[in-house]
Amino acid sequence: MRTDLAARPAPAAPGRFGPVARRVALYTALIVLAAPFVIPTLWMITSSFKPLNEIFASPPSFFSDAPTTAAYAEAFSFQPFARQYFNSVYIALVVTAITLLVSALAGYAFARIRFPGRNLLFIVVLVGLLVPSEVTIVPLFQMFKQAGLVNTHWPLILVTALAAPCVLATFIMRQFFIALPVELEEAARLDGLGRFGIWWRICVPLAKPALSAVAILTFLASWNLYLEPTVYLTSPELFTLPQALTRFTDPYGGEMWNTQLAAATMTVVPVLVVFLIAQRHFVESLAHSGLKG
Amino acid sequence: MTDTRLEPREASDEAPRGRAPARRARFWTLRRTDAATGYLFIAPQLIGVLVFVVVPVGLAIWYSLNEWNIFTGELEYVGGGNYQAALDDPQLPSVLGATAVFSGGVVVLNLVLGLALAVMLNRRFKGAVLFRTLFFSPVVVSVVAWTLVWGFLLQDNGGINGVLEQLGVDGPNWLQSGPTAMIAVTFTQVVRSVGINMVLFLAALQGVPGELYEAARLDGASSRSVFFRITLPLISPTLLLTAIITIVGALQSFAQIAVLTEGGPGLSTTVLVYYVFQQAFSFNDIGYGSTLALMLLTFVMVLTVIQWQLRRKWVFYED
Amino acid sequence: MPNTAKKLVSALALGTVAVAAGCGGTAPASSENVDLRMTVWTSNEDQLALFDSIADAYIADHPEVESITFESLPFEEYNTTLTTQIAGGNAPDLAWMGDLSADLIDSGALVPLTEAFEGTEGWGYDDLLPSVTGEFSRDDELYAYPFSNSPFALYVNTDLLAEADQTLDPANLTWDQVSAIGSAVHTATGKGGFVVNDFNYSSWNTLATVWTAFGASAWNEDGTECGFDSPEMTEAFTFLHDAIYVDESMPGPGTTADFFAGDSAFAIAQVSRAGNLDGSFAYDIQPLPAGPAGDYSVIGQAGMGVLQSSANVEAATEFLAFLTNPENAEKLAQYFPPPRASLQTGEALAANNDKFTAEQLQTVVVDQLPGAVTLPNHTNPAEVAQTGKTALDAMWAADADVPAVLASVCDAIDPLLAK
Repeated sequence: MRTDLAARPAPAAPGRFGPVARRVALYTALIVLAAPFVIPTLWMITSSFKPLNEIFASPPSFFSDAPTTAAYAEAFSFQPFARQYFNSVYIALVVTAITLLVSALAGYAFARIRFPGRNLLFIVVLVGLLVPSEVTIVPLFQMFKQAGLVNTHWPLILVTALAAPCVLATFIMRQFFIALPVELEEAARLDGLGRFGIWWRICVPLAKPALSAVAILTFLASWNLYLEPTVYLTSPELFTLPQALTRFTDPYGGEMWNTQLAAATMTVVPVLVVFLIAQRHFVESLAHSGLKG
Repeated sequence: MTDTRLEPREASDEAPRGRAPARRARFWTLRRTDAATGYLFIAPQLIGVLVFVVVPVGLAIWYSLNEWNIFTGELEYVGGGNYQAALDDPQLPSVLGATAVFSGGVVVLNLVLGLALAVMLNRRFKGAVLFRTLFFSPVVVSVVAWTLVWGFLLQDNGGINGVLEQLGVDGPNWLQSGPTAMIAVTFTQVVRSVGINMVLFLAALQGVPGELYEAARLDGASSRSVFFRITLPLISPTLLLTAIITIVGALQSFAQIAVLTEGGPGLSTTVLVYYVFQQAFSFNDIGYGSTLALMLLTFVMVLTVIQWQLRRKWVFYED
Repeated sequence: MPNTAKKLVSALALGTVAVAAGCGGTAPASSENVDLRMTVWTSNEDQLALFDSIADAYIADHPEVESITFESLPFEEYNTTLTTQIAGGNAPDLAWMGDLSADLIDSGALVPLTEAFEGTEGWGYDDLLPSVTGEFSRDDELYAYPFSNSPFALYVNTDLLAEADQTLDPANLTWDQVSAIGSAVHTATGKGGFVVNDFNYSSWNTLATVWTAFGASAWNEDGTECGFDSPEMTEAFTFLHDAIYVDESMPGPGTTADFFAGDSAFAIAQVSRAGNLDGSFAYDIQPLPAGPAGDYSVIGQAGMGVLQSSANVEAATEFLAFLTNPENAEKLAQYFPPPRASLQTGEALAANNDKFTAEQLQTVVVDQLPGAVTLPNHTNPAEVAQTGKTALDAMWAADADVPAVLASVCDAIDPLLAK
């Protein structure tokens, strides 16, 4: 079932890489194309080691004459940055766990179980994917206010785990389960398994690629959430990282650029490292998630 | 739930006409049990969407019919007043124009570049994995950090014009004239998000059976016609999915505009979602903001329905 | 029930329980166990510690007050977050305010303070400078205490001036002189001439630090008539436009030239920004240069007020009177230029300021406050600012028609001023 994408021979043009010139052209094209994808992140990382007065130096430079880690220390002393880091991590993990469960259940039901109104209900759920958060943010704030949940992590967890990002997950899971051979389930039925048994013992284990894809996309969606924490949270010890990044301002509202860049680097680099290590697995997950529309 | 014997899925389609009368009398037929399980399975997701999406949209419709004094908390019913205000808004045509240009640009570039990258990287050569990683990496960088950095680079005396100067080109003042500012926000949005589409296309390309290429090659087809006659039709379902996701994403791009251009210069990059945010959260006109937000929602819905209807015309196969 | 089903049920329950859990609503506040909350936009720990220590001293004498919390909101989103809180019925008891003050006062959201302050023994209401209370008053009634009144001043990078062989004549400091020197510095060093801090070709209200020199103002006294189409304003913007596109003494749009990073010869910035001077170049500070309309001074202000929606208006007002009494006002003066005449001496300010001498502070702060005007402020500030900016963007091109653009600014904001 599983094939390594990179190891697969090129189907589009076998034997196309004969001439060296062609290969050089390919590499040149890729390197030029890659520049805008890579340089901003690199610049952010190197600039976080610059003193403030070098960040705006023109022409901009990559490396500092007098590198300093002062901005990193400042990030932790200025606000409870370690706590905010923990908040982001735990919220993203909880959201991911709930989303996996909810989307695997709903995706399976929409794909495999027949019940009246299934298509209509699926469309209702899909609408959740299309409603921009700007439409719902004000009413949601009112609702959470009524429930006494403003300035808690509940809105961030519940809305993310059950509304838009979860709907995309349900969609991905449904597409995956639709493509799964029905014979596997029939065999399980003959063995006496019920729906729950079939779902949990047969289908969920087979859905690992789709579940990985869902996990990664959901984690990133929660990790990068910006508008919602800004609206719901007011206590610095409850903040999440993207929100905390905008708080590095001096008492008069002036941006502390180098501290911001240092904090931004700290939020980006771990995710990037995890991605670099797991990227082969990641791309394969998406590739095998059955996301074919 | 303890009833473990289930009919095969196909059989449950059949009406229970042909069954024994004794079984018909039972309320919890297998079919009903199965249906109940289905409802139970989708319940968390359905409730989530109802509570956190459908109810708020209903409330937003109510807000759009009112004028809301945010400081005193008084709601005043104005009926269609906010909708009339939208028709009379002198800025709205420019905003809709910018929205169309930005979304259209993002979608076209994103799909074309995503597909091009996928085709280039869908072959075996040294460094393919590395390049795949590089093109994907902006996806994991937070939007705010990403846009902030591009803001530095796009300054008149910033990095991009610095490089252009080395090449003997006098770069434009990117963010200070309408057309170049639009190019800049479109470009940064595409570069940040194209990685997802690239991976989805890679996945789709992997699904094209190698035999088809073999056959086409034996028939002497050029690589161009192989691409347009075989590859493209076979990955068209993915194209549909990515098109929908990309359009929805483009119509919701907020942070990019807010950090890079603040909608300027003039109204040149004020897209609808940014305008909605300004009205509702900066100008505290929640009634009018809700009206515009519902308009945005209508656009998204209409576009999605159109695409869904058109898919029969151009999507090669479906389940 | 199988294990999976249990998980399922708990997942189902999660949504409903969580929503139900908070449905009790909050208990009405009583006169006992009062909890006060004040929104601020600083997240500076020293400043917050100062506020906390004043609050602790107050609680020690007032057992009915259980706690006083200072909630820091980000400066950038301060107005948005505060109004969202007010709209959500979650308003703080007290709040810092900048350009939101006009909206808050005019909508009746703030508690009048004059009587409370005058009735507090030793508070010394007459000690407040008239020039700093105007922005927060309506009909002689004060609605917010102007705790921070920071004058705009001309920062000078004397190293850059020396590099370009330029000297500043403080006795005859005019905008024309600043522009001429800025132009010379730009030609000689490639660095910027003068910058108006925080303007960034967006926040045009900061340009009041320039156009006031020409006798112009954004609108008339009661904020009903646009002043952008006046001859004085045309003169002011012609000066700015020439500075950018003819003399090149002001960095154009899209060019970053941060004075505090040593990238420009002059900056118009508030005195309170001195903390950004890191000693990497030699600097001086002067009052704003004179223009055709003579000498003038401009301040940026912040106030503290009590919200009417508070359940504890009385306790909150009493605490505000304590927080701003002469003794505590002196402590606050460490960070915020004070509104009290008694604290206005160069020596008093220099005691807490290691960037400038007492004489410098005397000239750029103490001598300026009595006659200062504030930055333009209007109800619905964000929409006025944004609408004006959209029209004014056309100004920032070499071939712009200055009077025509200014007329279009008036066309754009007139409907808002009329509201």
